[in-house]
Amino acid sequence: MAAAIETEHLTKDFPVGFWRPRPYRALDDLTLQIEAGEVFGFLGPNGAGKSTTLKLLMQLLFATRGTARILGRPVGDVSVRRRIGFLAENPYFYDYLTAEELLSYFAKLFGYRGADVTTRVSRVLDDAGLGAERRKRLRQFSKGMLQRVGLAQALINDPDVLFLDEPMSGLDPLGRRRVRDQILGLRARGCTVFFSSHILSDAEALCSRVAIVVRGRMVASGKLTDILSFGLKGWELVVANVTDEVRAELEKRARQVTPLAHGRFMVDLSPDADPPRLMHELGGRGIEVVSLNPVRDTLEDYFVQTVAAAAPRPTGGV
Amino acid sequence: MRAILLVAGAAFKESVRDRVPYSMVIFAVLMMAASYLISQLTAGQDLKIIKDLGLAALSIFGLLIAVFIGIGLVSKEVEKKSVFALLTKPVTRPQFILGKYLGLVMTLIVNLAVMTVAYYLVLYYMDVMATPALRAGWPAPALDPRLLVAIVLIVAELALVTAVALLFSTFSSPLLSALLTLGLWVAGHFNNDLRRFENVLDVPALAWIARGLYYVLPNLAPFNVKAEVVYGVPVAASHVGYTLLYALVYISVLLTAATATFRRRDFK
Amino acid sequence: MPQAHSVDSRPRPSNRWFHAATAGLLALSIAVQVVRDRGWQPYEPATPVMWLQSGPLLKRIALGFDALVADIYWMRAVVYYGSKRLADEKGRNFDLLDPLLTLVTTLDPQFKVAYRFGAIFLTEAYPRGPGRPDRAIALLERGIDANPNGWEYPHDIGFVYYWWLHDYRAAAKWFDQAAQVTGAPAWLAPLAATTLAQGGDRQSSRFLWRQILESNDAAWLKRNAERSLMQLDALDVLDEINRALGRFTTREGRPPRSWQELIVAERLRGSPLDPTGVPYVMDPATGQITVSRQSQLWPLPTEKPRPLATPP
Repeated sequence: MAAAIETEHLTKDFPVGFWRPRPYRALDDLTLQIEAGEVFGFLGPNGAGKSTTLKLLMQLLFATRGTARILGRPVGDVSVRRRIGFLAENPYFYDYLTAEELLSYFAKLFGYRGADVTTRVSRVLDDAGLGAERRKRLRQFSKGMLQRVGLAQALINDPDVLFLDEPMSGLDPLGRRRVRDQILGLRARGCTVFFSSHILSDAEALCSRVAIVVRGRMVASGKLTDILSFGLKGWELVVANVTDEVRAELEKRARQVTPLAHGRFMVDLSPDADPPRLMHELGGRGIEVVSLNPVRDTLEDYFVQTVAAAAPRPTGGV
Repeated sequence: MRAILLVAGAAFKESVRDRVPYSMVIFAVLMMAASYLISQLTAGQDLKIIKDLGLAALSIFGLLIAVFIGIGLVSKEVEKKSVFALLTKPVTRPQFILGKYLGLVMTLIVNLAVMTVAYYLVLYYMDVMATPALRAGWPAPALDPRLLVAIVLIVAELALVTAVALLFSTFSSPLLSALLTLGLWVAGHFNNDLRRFENVLDVPALAWIARGLYYVLPNLAPFNVKAEVVYGVPVAASHVGYTLLYALVYISVLLTAATATFRRRDFK
Repeated sequence: MPQAHSVDSRPRPSNRWFHAATAGLLALSIAVQVVRDRGWQPYEPATPVMWLQSGPLLKRIALGFDALVADIYWMRAVVYYGSKRLADEKGRNFDLLDPLLTLVTTLDPQFKVAYRFGAIFLTEAYPRGPGRPDRAIALLERGIDANPNGWEYPHDIGFVYYWWLHDYRAAAKWFDQAAQVTGAPAWLAPLAATTLAQGGDRQSSRFLWRQILESNDAAWLKRNAERSLMQLDALDVLDEINRALGRFTTREGRPPRSWQELIVAERLRGSPLDPTGVPYVMDPATGQITVSRQSQLWPLPTEKPRPLATPP
């Protein structure tokens, strides 16, 4: 069976400069293979080439070099488009149409007719959590609501492969929760999801695999846990009811003790501190443990390290 | 075909709900006010003036609709990126362009139909208020159906201007497209002078250039039979036929070029 | 790496067919225009109408772009004059020329070229122009009102009186007035004097045209002056030939039957050509020799005073 998405040496140069334009390489030699049913996270800092990749896969851009296939067929093929969904970054639709009209317009473009259109439209709008607003014109919609409409339109045809460009941006915590649940639901259904993000927690919660791009080049791909050591950098312990004696004891064993409000203290422990034993020892002295959290590497840390290490972006030219 | 019609329908819905209705209201009010004022001010020639004014207003408001909505439909869509969602649906880019164009022409026709009704209402009022003596002095009756010939040619001209706007908007910004389209509209109306330049110019090379421009630039002067119609002078059916045929062919030129530009375009 | 190119399944689509179709359709549109234009001329009402005949109204409508609108109307006037000159007998009337010029000069009262060239257009005898020296003088008088310091306007009025109306007294008066203007060239004062003394003789006419030829940069004016000088030369030659014709008629008791007969009998050198290279012809009505209708020099200026001419 063909891979859901595959790219070979995918490269895109943009001409830069009005007078004597020179090529600027936005994406350099990307080779990827994503199997059906995977939820794939395409991660990288802003400007890394994530949107460029997605637009190449949607054939909103034409590749300078290399190929891309979806479901075994060339991108841009109309038969491919019937089976995919796409949510652009910060989506924008027509000001003077209502959400319902927009969705039924798109549904009809997929060839659905009659009652099928109505049921599909109301189902995806329900899933996106849009209530009575669906009869309002889109110009009155907030950014977050447009994002929901965007996800709804991407799902109107029950796609086999779903492409989402920064699906969480502009959403409140509740909205993010909802999108995560929707993606997990799609994964359960066997839908392949390819999404870009610059936020680690999204990827951690959803992805079976990720690729990381920095400055147009893929720097790593595979399971997130494999890529990132997720090395334990330490522990963060918050305690209350601390006597002076105990505090002195803590200061001896911790890297740092910071007083917080209401007599609490934040204790910064080294990775090898063995907090359970410490808590057991201190428990007898009447102190109260408020919270204990491991401190790990974040994707942001990783980006910062990689970007710092990466050579300057290669300029194009073939 | 279904995809084209769906895009056309959505474009029509979108543009009809835009500010277009206001321009129609302005137009109607202007017409009524003008006809009332003029019938107070002049004697005898007032019917001619109302006919002239009405046809002029019809083509100018139609032009505004054609240019501004025509450009909004494609280049605004590209600029605001609403085109991304649509072009990833099972719609090809040529279908998108043709659909947008059809939608806009539908908008134009509806708007001009409304204006035409308002126009004939004013003329009907003039007819009712006129004395037989006054009526005898008119070169053509008030409710002259021949006026429709002029209006049909105005619609054809505006359909052509819309295609020009569409072509520009496939590769340039909305503001630039609007300016270029208006510029070409003006040039299109001076086009006949280009042909006559040959008679005035001594330099053969320049005369050839003038002749070439005359044939290649959109030639809008033949669409203008307003004066003939107002004076009740017959307009040859063959002229109307050839001009409509020209509109059809030239619109095909513009749409082919627009499609060619659009289908290879990168959307950053 | 090389196989990346070979598997390139869907590159940017080629537009070859689209370009071919565009070119083909454009050719078709040209064909349609050619066919249509065979049976169509832009309509002009039998009683020509200019929408806005009122300069002051147009000035208000021009919204401050008076000069620009004046330029546009001036171009229209030139194109109008030029195309009417080339129109067939039926369409050759210059009715809108004067209103157009009035409009231009009302919008832009300093528009020197419009006054001066406009006056030349208006004075040209039918069929090269409307033959309205009276309107030309009126136009130039408005020019003087707007620009009292321009010596060209009284000079041009004097010229109209001299060349077209043969009123040498009036011409001398206007030349004199032009000479009074500060900054006027020195030759104006003697011109006024010779005009009064020998008005109408070809020598003073030549002097006048030469001044115009030498003191102007505008190619059109220069050509016009050169043409007039050639007409004067042609008149000299014609006098000579017509004297020979008179001798022949007296000697033979009848006018020559043909040009050829005259050439042989009077030993003229071949068939004489006018200064533009077109042979002179015999006017069958009068039997006199004159310039051909095909010549640029036709019609020759009349040399006797005549009433205001209007086109037939």
